[in-house]
Amino acid sequence: MILELTCALLITAAALLYVFYLPGRLYLGPEKTRASYLRERKDAVYENLRDLNFEYKAGKVPDADYHSLKSSLEDEAAALLAEIARLEDAAAPRKTRA
Amino acid sequence: MMVRSNSIRRTLHCALVSLAVCIFAGAGDPSSRFTEIGHQLMCICGCGQILLECNHVGCPSSDSMRNELMAAVTRGDSDSLVQQAFVQKYGPTVLAAPTTAGFDRAAWIMPIVALLLGFGIVILIVRAWRNRPEPMLADGVHASPGAELEKFREQARQETDL
Amino acid sequence: MAVIGDFALLLALALSVYSFAAGLLALLSAEDSGWARVGETARRAGIVVFGAVLLAAIALVASAFRDDFSIAYIFHHSNRDLPGPYKFAVLWSGQEGSLLFWALLLSGYGFVLRLRYKTDPRLFAYASVILAAVQVFFLSLVYFAANPFGLIEGPLRADGSGLNPLLQYPEMVIHPPMLYLGYVGFTIPFAFALGALIMKYPGEKWIHITRRWTMVTWGFLTCGIFLGSHWAYSVLGWGGYWGWDPVENASLMPWLVGTAFLHSVMMQEKRGMLKVWNMWLVFATFWLAILGTFLTRSGIISSVHAFAQSSIGTWFAWFLAVSFAVFVFFFVKNKSGLRSEHKLEALVSRESSFLFNNLLFLLLTLDVLWGTWFPKISELVQGNKVTVGAPFYNRVAIPVALLLLLLTAVGPLLAWRKTSFESVKRNFLWPTIGALVVALFVMFTPAGWGSIFGLKPWHDISYFYSLMTIFLSALVTFTVASEFYRGGRVISEKTGQGMFASMVQLTHRNTRRYGGYIVHFGVVLAMIGFSGAALNQEKEMEMGYGDHMQISNYDLVCRSYTQDDNPNQASEWALIDVYQGGQKIGTMTPQRLFYKASQQASTKPDIRQTFKEDLYLVYEGQNDKGQPVIKAHVNPMVIWIWIGAWVIVLGTGLALVEPAPVPVTVRVPRMVERAAPVAGD
Repeated sequence: MILELTCALLITAAALLYVFYLPGRLYLGPEKTRASYLRERKDAVYENLRDLNFEYKAGKVPDADYHSLKSSLEDEAAALLAEIARLEDAAAPRKTRA
Repeated sequence: MMVRSNSIRRTLHCALVSLAVCIFAGAGDPSSRFTEIGHQLMCICGCGQILLECNHVGCPSSDSMRNELMAAVTRGDSDSLVQQAFVQKYGPTVLAAPTTAGFDRAAWIMPIVALLLGFGIVILIVRAWRNRPEPMLADGVHASPGAELEKFREQARQETDL
Repeated sequence: MAVIGDFALLLALALSVYSFAAGLLALLSAEDSGWARVGETARRAGIVVFGAVLLAAIALVASAFRDDFSIAYIFHHSNRDLPGPYKFAVLWSGQEGSLLFWALLLSGYGFVLRLRYKTDPRLFAYASVILAAVQVFFLSLVYFAANPFGLIEGPLRADGSGLNPLLQYPEMVIHPPMLYLGYVGFTIPFAFALGALIMKYPGEKWIHITRRWTMVTWGFLTCGIFLGSHWAYSVLGWGGYWGWDPVENASLMPWLVGTAFLHSVMMQEKRGMLKVWNMWLVFATFWLAILGTFLTRSGIISSVHAFAQSSIGTWFAWFLAVSFAVFVFFFVKNKSGLRSEHKLEALVSRESSFLFNNLLFLLLTLDVLWGTWFPKISELVQGNKVTVGAPFYNRVAIPVALLLLLLTAVGPLLAWRKTSFESVKRNFLWPTIGALVVALFVMFTPAGWGSIFGLKPWHDISYFYSLMTIFLSALVTFTVASEFYRGGRVISEKTGQGMFASMVQLTHRNTRRYGGYIVHFGVVLAMIGFSGAALNQEKEMEMGYGDHMQISNYDLVCRSYTQDDNPNQASEWALIDVYQGGQKIGTMTPQRLFYKASQQASTKPDIRQTFKEDLYLVYEGQNDKGQPVIKAHVNPMVIWIWIGAWVIVLGTGLALVEPAPVPVTVRVPRMVERAAPVAGD
């Protein structure tokens, strides 16, 4: 019984030490910005475009479908790229001055 | 009761098969009738198995039930008569599936209703979604005008070319 | 040992409560850096919970190996002569132990999740808190309502009452852990989904993270279900692998909804659609997994596998209600963040095929749920119970499953957004012709070839279903093959590699899609295996020395029968020589075992498995002359179910591999060009 109680105490102490002893800095991760969100979106649209190109080359998509789908995806990608560029342009001068 | 249930089921099957030759096997030969009816009955010992699949050693009921079934089939009793006799002796849980009378009907109707309803809903959704306004781009992103857009389109095209 | 185990459980519970409370407070006062440290302690407490629960589990297993029958649970589920692996299996062979095991797996998942928090610290913090709440529930349940370390009352017994003989089979050592990994694992997607909902997560990255966890969990559950049916087939000796028992249904329902989610998640990742729907699917999967546990543990619905009736049903009912309420609350509060970004462009498109896919999976779930609850409903409405058994499910589920198989063939060939008629024609012509040829071949080959050959669909509805299954399976196989071929051709043209190397590269570039196709192919193989059931044959006979039994084209001759004895079990068996076409092809030994500790008997079938069919012999018992009663089954195509299962697992594993990066022509200069003049400005 004594042995078991000692074990229990030691385990509890070790657990508490691990939980509450926090040396050093914490990792909080990058703050999610609008630009990073847009880049995620851009990646998704790019992937869709690549898929479409691939399926077209594989002979799965007829010409007419391909061109209309491609142009609408490109519109979307372009709008995102434009927005990202605008955000970067706005951020860049401040960075260089600082 | 069971005659009607069978006829409903058969009509359903025939509609599915849509073949004129819907002659169901096992009408004459006693051993195949035994197998067919025996798979529509449960062993009532509490094992929860189909009568002819119940095989746990020392089952108190399945042997005698099988013998009764065999006797009835060799006597030439009709399917519905056999089933009725079993229901009278062992209660309604002896049938492996709900009947098509009374509230039991709900068991069979619900899946069909759900199927029809489901298809209806999906078709409605598809129609509603097709009538949505123009696809939105990512939140707050708007296509910028003319030449600049064309530049970015070109960039996207090049970056995703295979 | 009991003291240590009990203590470890209490410690785990306390730490979970801390992890939940501290984590919650830290999230509520988000931006403060002091609270960030509290959040970190919450995360660490969550990590330690795993260690503590692991200690409790070790204590329980160690007690089993030390034959410590002062612990009631060990007394009831083990005995001195039980072979080692089954002593290990005490962890999941009874109510209390298996709940501890459940808590262990949950904290194990939590452990991994909290270690990988750097992927997205904010989202993981939310998920960790939600997970801690679930842990608090399960650990309280184990500690207060179903404590496996309870001591036995009265005098200490010399030997335990043994493990249920049906569970004394090698697969029983792996089936429950797999199944539980599947069940429990659905808590993680739920935690992420609820977390994302609460924090109004911007973008779709959370669903990308969730999808991988779901795939892992789904893989485990699939493994668990197939192992379970393989166990039923090789041990229970009734000649089948799936009985539509409530407990089996309970594992099928989360699997069905989880499968629906794995499909519809693509709509959200690719097109930003179905956000609300996916949220609900994740929740439903988790909820159904818990409901399944509730069904099997509460004794509310009678079943072959059910655990003893107990009060823990009430605990589960409350947990189900509370989790539902919490989810609905946050859904109503934050649903505005789940707006769809696209409209649907055409009825014939990949998008709508996913909608129908989800509809069919949900219909199947609903049918299974309905059938499982119908006896209870009938009792309430008309006062008498009815049985809802295999005949009901087969009739209701098979048509829906066939429609799903059709979609499996059609869906992947439809383009996103819209598909013109020309494209449909181009992609489906050859696969359809191929599948028709296969179906006609199966129909018009001589029945003498055995197995599924010479299948005449007009003889019986089940033959029709079997033939449809074969036709659709061939269709899926051909479309999958054409996907690999066409993709491989593009790569081969570009790189000049051989076709096979190109297909490998293709798969590596998009592991998820092509892994998914392999899963589809596995499903097809399993479906072909299921379709054989329409042609099962069975025969029962009392067999003395030299007696013959004819079944299908086998001739079985009883060579002898005998008995054996060892400390754990006594057994009787028959030696049956198997002849085919006048040639002896083997000897089989169906057995009947009697387990001494538990005073229970069970049968052990002998199965001769070939690619065409299984010959399955069961020792049913003895007649009054002491001769064995042998039941023989011939089950066509069964082996394909197990092969299909392996292929599914393989495909799932492949889909989890990180894809090779697509070679992109990255042109950084553009940014630099633009940045330069600005900088000089």
